[in-house]
Amino acid sequence: MPTPPPDWVKALKPSGPQGSELLQQERAQSNVDVERLSELLHTKETLERRASLLALLQPEKVFDKSQNHTLGRVERLQRSLAKAKRLQQLAEEHKWSMQELHAANDLIGEPTPYGLHASMFLVTLREQGTPEQHRLFLERAEKYEIIGCYAQTELGHGSNVRGLETTATWNSNDKTFTINSPTLTASKWWIGSLGRTANHAVVMAQLLIDGKNYGPHPFVVQVRDLETHQPLDNVYVGDIGPKFGYNTMDNGFLLFNNVKIPHVNMLARFCQVDKETNQYAKPAMPSLVFGTMTWVRANIVLDAGGVLARGVTIATRYCAVRRQFQDRDADPHAGETQVLNYKMVQVRLLPLLASMYALHFTGRGMMRLYEENQSRMKAASSPDQESRGAGPEQLRAGANLLADLHATSCGLKALASTTAGEGLEICRRACGGHGYSSYSGIGPAYADYLPTLTWEGDNYMLTQQVARYLLKSARAVLAGKPARNDTSQILQAYLDRRDKGASFDVLDEDKDIVAAFGWRTAHLTFEALKHRDAEQRSWNSLLVDFWRLSTAHSQYLMVKNFYEAVSSPELSAALDPETKGLMHQLFRLFSLHTLEREAAEFFSSGAVTVRQITLTRTTAVLKLLDDIRPHAVRLVDAWAIPDWHLDSSLGRYDGKVYEDLFRRASEENPVNDLVFDPYPWNSALLKNEPAKSKL
Amino acid sequence: MPDFTDNLRPSQPDGPTTLGRERQQSNIATEELGQYLLGSDGFLERQARILPIIEQEPLFSKEQQQNLSRPERFKLGVARAKLLRRMKDTHKWSYLEYQMAEYLVDDVSPYFLHMEMFITTIREQASEEQQAYWLPLIESWKIIGAYAQTELGHGSNVRGLELEARWDSRTKEFVLHSPTLTASKWWNGSLGRLANHAIVVAQLLLPDPSSLDQYISHGPHPFIVQVRDMKTHQPLNGIVVGDIGPKYGYITMDNAYMLFDQFRIPHTAMLSRYSKVDPKTGTYTKPEQPALIYGSLTYVRSNMVHRARLVLARAATVAVRYSSVRRQFQDRDGDKKGPEMSVLDYPTVQIRILPLLATTFALHYTGLAMQAVYKKARRDIEKGDFRSLAHMHSMSSGLKSLCTILAADGIETCRRAMGGHGFGGGSGLIQVNNDYLSKPTVEGDNWMITQQVAAYVIKRMTAAVKSPDTAGVDETDARFKEFIRNKRRPGSEKQTYDILNSDFHIVKSFELRATAMAYEAYEQRVIKERNWNSLLIQLHKLSRAQSESIIVATFFDALSNDKALSEPIKTVLWDCYRLFALYIFRTNAVSQADLNSLASRVQELMARIRPHAVKLVDSWMIPDYLLDSALGRYDGHVYEDLFNRAHRLNPLNRITFNPNYWEDEIVKGSGHNGRGILSKL
Repeated sequence: MPTPPPDWVKALKPSGPQGSELLQQERAQSNVDVERLSELLHTKETLERRASLLALLQPEKVFDKSQNHTLGRVERLQRSLAKAKRLQQLAEEHKWSMQELHAANDLIGEPTPYGLHASMFLVTLREQGTPEQHRLFLERAEKYEIIGCYAQTELGHGSNVRGLETTATWNSNDKTFTINSPTLTASKWWIGSLGRTANHAVVMAQLLIDGKNYGPHPFVVQVRDLETHQPLDNVYVGDIGPKFGYNTMDNGFLLFNNVKIPHVNMLARFCQVDKETNQYAKPAMPSLVFGTMTWVRANIVLDAGGVLARGVTIATRYCAVRRQFQDRDADPHAGETQVLNYKMVQVRLLPLLASMYALHFTGRGMMRLYEENQSRMKAASSPDQESRGAGPEQLRAGANLLADLHATSCGLKALASTTAGEGLEICRRACGGHGYSSYSGIGPAYADYLPTLTWEGDNYMLTQQVARYLLKSARAVLAGKPARNDTSQILQAYLDRRDKGASFDVLDEDKDIVAAFGWRTAHLTFEALKHRDAEQRSWNSLLVDFWRLSTAHSQYLMVKNFYEAVSSPELSAALDPETKGLMHQLFRLFSLHTLEREAAEFFSSGAVTVRQITLTRTTAVLKLLDDIRPHAVRLVDAWAIPDWHLDSSLGRYDGKVYEDLFRRASEENPVNDLVFDPYPWNSALLKNEPAKSKL
Repeated sequence: MPDFTDNLRPSQPDGPTTLGRERQQSNIATEELGQYLLGSDGFLERQARILPIIEQEPLFSKEQQQNLSRPERFKLGVARAKLLRRMKDTHKWSYLEYQMAEYLVDDVSPYFLHMEMFITTIREQASEEQQAYWLPLIESWKIIGAYAQTELGHGSNVRGLELEARWDSRTKEFVLHSPTLTASKWWNGSLGRLANHAIVVAQLLLPDPSSLDQYISHGPHPFIVQVRDMKTHQPLNGIVVGDIGPKYGYITMDNAYMLFDQFRIPHTAMLSRYSKVDPKTGTYTKPEQPALIYGSLTYVRSNMVHRARLVLARAATVAVRYSSVRRQFQDRDGDKKGPEMSVLDYPTVQIRILPLLATTFALHYTGLAMQAVYKKARRDIEKGDFRSLAHMHSMSSGLKSLCTILAADGIETCRRAMGGHGFGGGSGLIQVNNDYLSKPTVEGDNWMITQQVAAYVIKRMTAAVKSPDTAGVDETDARFKEFIRNKRRPGSEKQTYDILNSDFHIVKSFELRATAMAYEAYEQRVIKERNWNSLLIQLHKLSRAQSESIIVATFFDALSNDKALSEPIKTVLWDCYRLFALYIFRTNAVSQADLNSLASRVQELMARIRPHAVKLVDSWMIPDYLLDSALGRYDGHVYEDLFNRAHRLNPLNRITFNPNYWEDEIVKGSGHNGRGILSKL
């Protein structure tokens, strides 16, 4: 590393007022009780657990982050594996729970090559394996004796699972399956942890029995030798190369040249091939799967809040420290204005600040519904409950609610991850020039987050599922079926009042805001239904309408969940009245800012008047920006993201932005070890290295 | 090493078949359109001539560059830049030819600031005597220079710069000094490791004639300073300079920090074409036209406007070709047994990509118009006529803001529209995206500089309001006055245009919206005296409306005045014009019925453009070497190329990991228990 700067440089301070003073002022001008709000958001146990993990991880040299952005791909992945190994050793030593391991990995801040083993491989074995398969694979996998991944997507096939080309052909003569890749596009692709690390994979392949295709099914396949770690014969496997982000993960490709695996390697909890009769036994559609997917999506929504919070924390603190230009109307001798006081900075950052709370409460709401349903299902299946004879409607009502959430949650996943991904980029740009530096901490987080917008279903593709469900619900409501879940209720409410008109008081009544969002969804649903059923328009020609519809409905769900959270007794009990009031302001900012952006749909559905939209734009949103502005720093502080996790010069808690940028540039930057010969006609590149260069 | 994968082919229909069909179904003459867009100044001819020379040079192979560490990648960038400069001599390239070679290699040149801002500033701001001394040294590359303006704590606001240049009347020298850490120069390209000279912008401090120990600041001024030793290339005593570290993109550029400790430079170091300090008396002479300081910034901004089209065309080329080849899901209403649908047939994909394809043409005409305005303004200024300066400054600020955001967001939209593979290194959009993303904040933050447009427009409106009944001095003035006169007439407030049937009405509606917003801003600021900060959001929208109106009108004029294009091309370009304008349409200067039909009109236009999409991107004639994209290849061999990159070109696949967590060894057989990995920490 470069030699440290001379003393006269070390003695320099940033010009005043110092970043630390500015952040102190920010914190002094607001009464938000940061600690209580943090505990409401994360719970006390989680915060304490994170603090103790942080104390354990931060001093370890292997977890040092200073060179993350300068290393080449090969070295970066090697270090990433070193980190993963060390984490696993610590987990064993300290007997971490699964949650603790996740929390630790989160603090490390990058995906590691064990990532897909620890998540999808173990989960799939657990959920889809029989007890025999658990003994054979799961137990060894849990001890990391075998390391696996989940191989579904292919070079030519992403979201459409039915289009997969890898085949698993049943051989009735020797009771085996032959796994084969018939084309190049059949190559497994993007498979995390597979490129260099895994020796096993759960492979999704088209099951062929006697020439008939039964669709994609999961098979456990060993891909590398457990001793030499070289690929097995007729298995072709490797890393797919550098990416936009996620470069600490070895996403892999995988091809099979007629590889035989035993009968027991087809995961057979839900569907199987009978060894004796060679018959395929059909899966009973497990309602459990609904639950799991809802749980996964609730987590994506919750995570989206956390990811966005990282960007908003950095941008808000930095914009409070950064000053630029004098206020045109102020005393010309006054200092430059804090950038956060500019309305055009506020209008970008503060709605995102509100969004991260909205995402968090929405994810929590989904999680609660999932958990309630799980316990209801457990209660329903326990014998004494049975004897008491719970009414079937009661049970169905729960199932109905979960089915409703399942169908609509894919739209929320799309909206949440898009909001977080695009929000990070808005935060980065709001930081001006320094946002472009890797030391901002936002660019790298953005690059690593972006795959979430595509995986678990491409965000645009997913919106079709929501539309399909809404159309179905609308048909049911029109046919006079009783409205048993939330979706049916907003559709029914719209039908009941359509003639009278909406007249929602969105500027003064919070619950009317929720109703206006529901109204807009219902209106768009019936419009789409008219196009599809009455006008017989093609599905394809309506995709843009469906995408708008799904977005509208997901926005409704966020507004509703946010409203329910801020009006809940838990929140009132946890917060002082002032902070509680601020939560309501954030709810209004999120909702009204969304309403303003989507004004055309609110207007054409008759949910609000042009006058209301104009007032929202010219008065209400601006007023909310003014009201929330003084609390901005404390509202991000409450998210309690440790500096080590932020890994950002701009977003440091103490505001020492410029000192940190300078320290990293001058002391942690290996480029400054190179002394160049700058003249084109001297072909030697460097003056301080032997002429032979690696290039 | 041959293996079974050598015989595998992609499933049918494969990329070449699909692209062949795409090209057959359109009657666009790509050669004609290509020449029309890029032929006029010999661009395509140069591209064809220089491309083979570049491609055969091993140093310019792009195969491994994404895998390198920052120091290695920067070294590669310097090695390439040196070679390019030598090739300029061996091939006797003109500057345009040399620029073409750089464009194809596609690294941000670490010499960029030497070749652009450094020499331009000397040409524009140095006295004749200074030019006679410095220009030969720069042109022969005897010295390598950079341009150091922005500081750690100070970006767009030049007046806030902290570096001091204090006149020492005793020794007749300036003393450069950084009083604080935030005074450190920051972000200055080519300076971190390469340059030995720099233009340094510092606050000029001169003794106060009324009290001799006091100094008065005369604002920021440019000085030429030697910063490194010509032999050892080490920083001179009293200067600390280095590279600022890794960034989102610009990996081959050594953006710098630089601090001065009472560093003395001679009187001749101050560039003195306009402002001067008399060495005998220490008296300061002011420039006639202070805005001239920003002359080179306007030049850079107008260049950025012009270059946006090719950047976006690159992204659109990749997205259109790959979305044609890529198939996903069957049509729900169609044949369930047939092949999956080409994703470009999904309206949800079209609405992301096709408006951007239309935008490439919009940016093309705007770029040409901006260049013309810049050239004319420069000619006027050389003649001593400064009247067009304010207009040019406002236009270049507004268009820089809008065009770079359209291109930057457009690249990312294209990348994401391609699903998973868009995220991979084979997309070819990663480096261009990362490099280009500097543009929205560099040379004036896109949000901040819209204030300059708004201030200019309000000033023009204020003038128009004073005498609405006189003839307009220019087109803007005439339009403003007409608006004010119309406002006085009762019952004429709600003017509507027939945007669905009249191309001209589209222009009129954009202009009316921009004018109405200008008037609204004038009312708020001048009549109601509202505080500037409370208006910033509105002013930003005003700037955007002004710039959109310029782009739409320019597009319309270009197509209306054209007499050369063949009919099929012209028809589809008119559709592109309509799609571009209606896609960004935000105004109430139309009837509610028209507003409701807008979405279906956009969809109808996309359906008309869709069959020509591949040929339209082909017409931008971007070579595969520049695209460096498996997804966007001309021949459609998408999957073969992706596999080749992963399988044969990926260095990671040459090492074998030890995956057991209880063993610290990382690379199998290296046996050092992982210490090798940690030793560099």
